[in-house]
Formats: sequence, structure tokens, C-alpha cells
Amino acid sequence: MFKPLFTTNTSKLIVIILFGLFSSSAIATIDTYEFNDPKLEARFQKLIYELRCPKCQNQNLADSNSELSMDLKNIVYEKLIKGESDQQILDFMKQRYGEFILFNPEMSQSNALLWGGPIIFLVVAIGVFLRWYSNNRVIDNE
Amino acid sequence: MDNNSNLIKNSIIILSFFVIVTAFYFLIGQDKTKLPSQLIDRPAPTFKVQDLLESELIRSEADFKGNITLLNVWASWCPSCYVEHPFWKDYAKNKDLTLVGLNYRDTKPKAMKFLREQGNFFEWNLFDENGRLGIEFGIYGAPETFLIDRDGKVRYRHVGVVSPEVYQDIFLPLVEKIKKGF
Repeated sequence: MFKPLFTTNTSKLIVIILFGLFSSSAIATIDTYEFNDPKLEARFQKLIYELRCPKCQNQNLADSNSELSMDLKNIVYEKLIKGESDQQILDFMKQRYGEFILFNPEMSQSNALLWGGPIIFLVVAIGVFLRWYSNNRVIDNE
Repeated sequence: MDNNSNLIKNSIIILSFFVIVTAFYFLIGQDKTKLPSQLIDRPAPTFKVQDLLESELIRSEADFKGNITLLNVWASWCPSCYVEHPFWKDYAKNKDLTLVGLNYRDTKPKAMKFLREQGNFFEWNLFDENGRLGIEFGIYGAPETFLIDRDGKVRYRHVGVVSPEVYQDIFLPLVEKIKKGF
């Protein structure tokens, strides 16, 4: 006989708690950065999408709520207000966290395989396919 | 015979595939805790921050010079720091390096409570209330431990808990190397 895990009231309570949790995280994501110049705000948005949260798996600064990401976003904001260029800000981040902080890392010797890998895979796959195709064609002719 | 050569060809293709995948795993799928610090073999960043226990004292990177230093990043909110701290207690009994704490993103009362309850084995502590010094060191969180040589150059950064095994296997050989002049 199936026995429900929770009573109706407990289930309602769980739903309310879950709503509470999600709403608080939604509030936490609201940014409070103020810009007088929309161009500056656009640059800010672009930079925080380009920069990776160093301690999160696959999240950029824009999507991350970690304290480190908040600190880095504050630094991006302060540097933009101070008049620093995008490259200066990216260099600042790179000097401290390395290429890893860039979502689109620049090509270098250490990540050449990462850039070239898909091409190598494609060449190998085409080679394997052509070989398979030519072998099968011979069998058909026979 | 033809079947045999096909089998060899297929085996080579499958083997090559696994070699490529393994190479990718080791080259790209790195554990993020193993990412090397940007500071390795470079001077520690320049800074000026308050000493945690002696507020009137302003500490800087110059304080690292002259001694081999272990700089441990800790915080009262960091559960792993409570796990790691007993190691520093044992280490402090027969240490031969300067053990310095970097209290990261903490409040003074909570940090003081941590040291009161867990023990203060650090010779001095940097107070990084807003986490900006942490960013200068490129830290991910706490605990992390930096090995800094007598010239103030960072020689190693460990992300995570330093256990007796980690110290023995990783730190000790580097310390010996530094003592011999690197």
C-alpha cells in the first residue's frame, strides 16, 4: 500500500519554504550598479559576461552570486568609473587569475590544443569516414 | 587475413581515440584547485593592510622579506579552516618558517573569536576585511597557503587544506629547495 512521504500540510510548508528560498536568491541577483552613461553600462555588462567566476564551474561574473564574483564585479565597476579601458580591466584580472578568468581565452601555446582540438577531431573524423566509404564502395562494385 | 588487418586498423582507430580523449582530459579537464597561481616565482603583490590583532600596525609585503614564510588564508566562516587549524597547532611546535595568517573577508569580532577558540599559531595576521588583498593574491577562497621565500617571492600556492601529508610531500621539498637557494 502506497504511503505518502509527507502529509498535505507538510507538503504545503515545503513548497512555501522553497518559494522563500528561490525568492531570496532572486532578490540577491539584483545589481545595484549605477551608471550615468549608458555606454559605460554596456561596457560593464559586456565585461562581466566575458569574465569567468574563478571559483565557480562555468559561470561568468554576471551569473554568479559568489562573494568573490561580487568583489570582482565591484572592481570592474570602480575601474570603469575611474576611466580605465576594457583591456586594462581584463589585464588586471588576467594578472591575478590567469587566462582562466577569460571566457574566451586568447590563443597561446598552452591552450593551442584546446583551439586546434576540434579541427584535429574533424580531420580525423573525415579521414575515418572517407576510408570507410571507399572500402564499402569497393564491396558494392564486387 | 583481410579480417585481421581490419581488426588491427579498427584497434588503432579506437586506441587513437582513447589517447586523444585522455590527452584532452589531462590538458583541459584540470581540477580548478590545481590551477597555478599567477604569482609563482614573482614577488608578492604590494599592499598595505592592518594587522588583525594590532590595529595600529600597518603590514606590507616588505614584512615577508628576510624569512621563509607560510601565508595561510583563513576565515571564521570557512569550515575547512577548522579542519586545517590543528595542523598549524602541531606545525607551530617545531616550525622553522614564519607562519603568517591572512584573515579573508571576515569581521574582526568573528576572527578574534576563531583565534581565541581554535588557538592563534600565527606570528601575525593580515586583516583583509573586504577581500581586496585576497584578489591581489589571486585567491579563490579559504583555506589557501602560499610559500614565500626570503626575497618575498611566491614559490608555491596550495588550494585547500594543508594536512601533514600535503606538507610532507609538497611543501617540504620546496622549503628544502628554497633553503639551498632555489
